Amino acid sequence: MNSDILDQLKNTVLEFDIDSAEDIAKKAVDSGIDPLAAAAVLTDAIRVIGNKFGSGELFLPELVCASEVLKKAFPIINEAIEAKGQKQTSLGKVVIGTVFGDIHSIGKGMVATLLYAAGFEVIDLGINVKGEDFLKAVKEQNADILAMSALLTTTAMEQKNVIEGLKKDGLRDRVKVIVGGSPINQEFADSIGADGYGATAPEGVRIAKRLLGIEQ
Amino acid sequence: MQNGFKRKFEPLKILTDSQIEQIHTASLNVLDEVGFKYESKKVLKLLEDHGCKVNYDTMIAKIPPSLVEWAIAKTPSSFMVKARDPEKSVRFGGNTMYFFNSAGARYVDIDTGIVSMPTLEQNNIAVLVSDDLDTVHAFPSYTPYFEIEGVPPVMSCPVSCAQRHRFSTKPSRGAQPTDSFIWETQIALAVGAQLMGCVEGTAPLSLAEDPCNAAFHYLDADFPIYIASGSIMGGSHPITIAGASVSHNAELLAIIVLLQCIKPGCGVIANNFVSAMNMTTGDLNFGTAAIALHQMAYNQIWHSYYKIPINNTGSAFSNAKIIDYQLGAEKLPLAMASALSGANLIVLHGGVTAELAYNPILAIIDDDIAKTIGRIVEGFDVNDATIGLDVIREVGSSGTFLNTKQTRTMWKTEDYMPKIFDKTSYQEWINTGKKTVVNKAKERYEEILATHKPVPVTPEQDKEIDRILKEATEYYKKKGLI
Repeated sequence: MNSDILDQLKNTVLEFDIDSAEDIAKKAVDSGIDPLAAAAVLTDAIRVIGNKFGSGELFLPELVCASEVLKKAFPIINEAIEAKGQKQTSLGKVVIGTVFGDIHSIGKGMVATLLYAAGFEVIDLGINVKGEDFLKAVKEQNADILAMSALLTTTAMEQKNVIEGLKKDGLRDRVKVIVGGSPINQEFADSIGADGYGATAPEGVRIAKRLLGIEQ
Repeated sequence: MQNGFKRKFEPLKILTDSQIEQIHTASLNVLDEVGFKYESKKVLKLLEDHGCKVNYDTMIAKIPPSLVEWAIAKTPSSFMVKARDPEKSVRFGGNTMYFFNSAGARYVDIDTGIVSMPTLEQNNIAVLVSDDLDTVHAFPSYTPYFEIEGVPPVMSCPVSCAQRHRFSTKPSRGAQPTDSFIWETQIALAVGAQLMGCVEGTAPLSLAEDPCNAAFHYLDADFPIYIASGSIMGGSHPITIAGASVSHNAELLAIIVLLQCIKPGCGVIANNFVSAMNMTTGDLNFGTAAIALHQMAYNQIWHSYYKIPINNTGSAFSNAKIIDYQLGAEKLPLAMASALSGANLIVLHGGVTAELAYNPILAIIDDDIAKTIGRIVEGFDVNDATIGLDVIREVGSSGTFLNTKQTRTMWKTEDYMPKIFDKTSYQEWINTGKKTVVNKAKERYEEILATHKPVPVTPEQDKEIDRILKEATEYYKKKGLI
């Protein structure tokens, strides 16, 4: 019974079944299985999707739809984990968002999903995120990494403003900063004092691991 | 007035009348049932007064079909944009086809593909080159470069507008972000020109506050308006061409409704800039079949059904990083599809590397391409003189047509001979240093820099532009944006 429901949960991700995700997650919790086991199958499944995306077997629509399944299922599983006083392990905590003035979400969403698939805990602040909200999240979440996306040349400098804000608030040494987006390059990342730059979403994950000293 | 090219044949049709009706009706349904988000209370109130159902919390107005149909009917089928030099004014609409300069954020070195922030001098030179090119009929805002070294980002649009008016007499489009329209309007008026005002939506189904404000400002200056709603199929629009056509149509019609409610009868040109998505990276894919089909369907609907002037941006960019075969293969089919299907304005010259980069050398090559496309849409005459039955009789089966008056007098108008493309024999090509089209364009570039002198603005106009830019700088400083 338990393995059946775990298989069903895993398949919601592998089959991109957004519509059933909530019901099956609730069913899993109601069945009394260990919610950490439920979280683990979801993570395994998104890792499969992430790997297939990385190898070119799957594409962006599949990655995004699998990510949508997680957004539906995870709050239910997480609630059960918290109710039991349990805690998930992760490679590290990442706060991610698209900077203020910029409403592009695709690239940021890809990085968030792949980071999650790789085993990071990801706090996605969304798009058009104000500098003060990045700083607040880094502080409150005690983040290991801050990842910022900017798709417009006019908003790229907002990444610098946030880094300056980290310095001003005495947070810069506590968090590694990764930047990305089409107008960004290594030269720009260096010039604004970022720790890493990823030209692609998979590269962003590799850099996150490298910055935290995680073996790849 | 610049004449552009006159299309002598019916635009290519890829939709049946029934399919056009389906797309139009679905667009009306979207606006009536889903509505459109206008991020301006002033706009919402105006639309409410015109019969829209407005929700001030969500900022969504549901637009009745009758209002949309009224707005379409109010929009003229052609309008003029007055340039600084009246000889360079343009009239958009009907079967006239013009070309628009493309743009890029950065300067690209065409030999290495490396992009860098352009200096003000590089920007000015690029404007000057386009001023010299016959087929750059007008400039969009942000052109040729989005960014200029030493210019604060918030000042890039006003400065860009100022330099276009200083180094060219051709018409320009204004921009909309961060109140730039205030200064750009002043600059155009200072030199006795009109701008095409800019009101660009944000797909899906919304218009931010800046373009709402720009609409009032530009129409108050009696400028015609360039509207757009750039999007990406599979992202901000549906992945299907039919679905994306409906979403895009609804967005542009919602903007037309706003403009006609502000100033009934105002001139509007509606842009199509719908891109495809790279499903591996999420980036924009240029030069694809879906973009061409979307534009062709759009052109048919707006040219033949709505009778509103249209612009196409699909051929403005390529994913190629340098001037190579891919660049031509991605830009030319899109430009050709636009030209054949009725576009009044096509963005073409100089854009490389997606939206990231621009180079005037490419603009020079694109000038030859635009002339070839223009020559194609102008078709050919069929009459006694062009058939020349007497000449065919005279030459018979053993002579040549080369020594006839018909050939001597008509060869230049019957075809267009490119100036930049290499048409030498193989041996001549070897003997003259194996020049490529890029080498020849570089030579032309040097020639333009040495010889082309754009008509300058008067000292008084120059001083006034400086004053406007200074005022703009102070304005943004007060707002904490500089």
